Amino acid sequence: MSSPKRLHPVAIIFTVIKSLRQLIYALFPIIILASSDFGLHYVVLIISIIVVIFIGFSVLSWLRFTYRIEGDQLRIEKGVIVRQKRTISKNRIQSIDLTQGIIHRIFGLTKVQIETAGSDRSVDAGLSAVKLEEGQHLHNELKSKYENVESVVESDKQTNHAQHTITVKRLLLAGSTSASFGIVLSLFALTFTEIEAFVPESFYNRTTNLLLSQGIELLIVLGIVLFILLWMLGILTMVVKYGKFTITRYENELFITRGLLEKKQMTIPIKRIQAVSIKESLIRQPLGFATISVEIAGGETEKQNASETLLFPLLRKTEVKGFLDEILPEYENNSTFRKLVPKRALPYYLLRTSMIPLIGLIGIAIFMPEWVILPIILLGLSVILGFVRYRTTSFNLSENQLTLQLRMFSKEIVLLKSKRIQALERSQHFLHRKQNLGTMKLSILNNFGGRHYNINELNEEDLDKIGDWYSTET
Amino acid sequence: MYMRQPPSERIAKDAIKAWKLTASLWSCIPILIVIALFVLAYLFDFSYWYGTIFIAISLIEVILTVIFIPKLRWNRWRYEVFDQEIYIQHGILIVSRTLVPMIRVQHVDTKQGPILKKYGLSSLTVSTAATTHEIPALLEEEAAALRDRISELARVEQDDV
Repeated sequence: MSSPKRLHPVAIIFTVIKSLRQLIYALFPIIILASSDFGLHYVVLIISIIVVIFIGFSVLSWLRFTYRIEGDQLRIEKGVIVRQKRTISKNRIQSIDLTQGIIHRIFGLTKVQIETAGSDRSVDAGLSAVKLEEGQHLHNELKSKYENVESVVESDKQTNHAQHTITVKRLLLAGSTSASFGIVLSLFALTFTEIEAFVPESFYNRTTNLLLSQGIELLIVLGIVLFILLWMLGILTMVVKYGKFTITRYENELFITRGLLEKKQMTIPIKRIQAVSIKESLIRQPLGFATISVEIAGGETEKQNASETLLFPLLRKTEVKGFLDEILPEYENNSTFRKLVPKRALPYYLLRTSMIPLIGLIGIAIFMPEWVILPIILLGLSVILGFVRYRTTSFNLSENQLTLQLRMFSKEIVLLKSKRIQALERSQHFLHRKQNLGTMKLSILNNFGGRHYNINELNEEDLDKIGDWYSTET
Repeated sequence: MYMRQPPSERIAKDAIKAWKLTASLWSCIPILIVIALFVLAYLFDFSYWYGTIFIAISLIEVILTVIFIPKLRWNRWRYEVFDQEIYIQHGILIVSRTLVPMIRVQHVDTKQGPILKKYGLSSLTVSTAATTHEIPALLEEEAAALRDRISELARVEQDDV
């Protein structure tokens, strides 16, 4: 156990790839130089020397990188020029995740990511490539402290843990209604079906004539093909990313595996969850589907994928309650909401969304009156948005949980525990004070330092109530 | 019952002087711009009107920021430190009241720049993991005492994050 071990030699490849990726920027000036009067063969020579140096360096650093478990500690030694020794105590480890990329899968390897508490990512340790059994062994060895999660090995899934897996049908549905597709869809809908309505007739005629001369059938077919391609692409990325999505609830943590090509694991300790969010996007809402995600504090989760971590890609609205009761029973999930925003606040909501379109409308009406229909439509939409926001904003207050229903564009239900709220702020300007209205800001912690929920113009009474609920001082 | 009544404590009265001094120093910038505008107007002979208009605007701005705003701001600024939370109110047009639970407090700093030093003041910053809150001008000893008190109170067992 205590003898130092090396990573699998494939780790060298990863180091080379990583350093080459960084090097590309440095190579640009050389390439530019080559395109001028510097001899091409010199450039090739320089580049190959650099590459050789990098490979050599990677081999050396692989040779130097050793790890071992000693008692309750993981020891890592590394560094070619600067030698570094790191000791991580078992108790400090928050989670250990095994991730397999495509290269890993070919060689039967896995990447081990070890996360410690705190936001300093440099403290976290990673073993870029070890044998899969070795990874699982490490996982069990280091983790045995707080829970028996031996079921990381796929074979022995314990039956007494709540578990949900996404079906292929759902996955396809999730892909076809994903947000990126929604944007594309609405853009296409706008350009293809409504173009006649708000383009001035002369311009429209001229364009259509031009298109007709090009063979309009061809163009339409091209457009449709492009549209379908984009849609397929959306579905494909979803399937690749979230294929075989499985979430399991253990006593103190959630465990997620996902990915069709690249197998990713993620462990979320329950106590790091700051808020739960149930989101219905504009496309999914009418279909009755929602997405569940959580805000997590600290640690390295999905770097590229913003702050929220998906708990399930797509659920029917009626399934949400059952899902949360099994996976996160800590959070109450009742659907009775009381409106937060009184009628007298409606003007603020309408004004807030329609201000910019209104200015645009005035500008366009003065300078390009023939296009005036466009901002009018935009204005209409923004007034509707303001009204819907006003209608959506509501809440439910229980002993230690505040449930908010909000809307930016998508409808979102946020479940917040009082002890997870970092600070509560209420603000009023002089008009608010006259009308007994106020704006509330709730701050919670997440990977990006914090997320702030703003709720505009609520009843002062409700503000007081939420303030009392939050305040522990009696 | 908090957040219904404003907090009880005011910040140091000398804050007004300090803010006035800061605002006066900042007003050097518009003065420099005015001078530059006149010099440019003289050299490249374009209209002196730009400079004149700018004088009027900056005059209004200086009167507001140097004479009126510090007083109003001080008047609105209140804070109160309880055993379990910190309660702050500020803002002239928009009045904000913030409640920070003691267990969320990660660290407290006191800070003192040259201007605050001149008046024997320092500012106190309370940071949670997601937010920071500043009480801008307290008497030095008071700030130090408050800092120690908050850090003592915040020491109660932090249950994760």
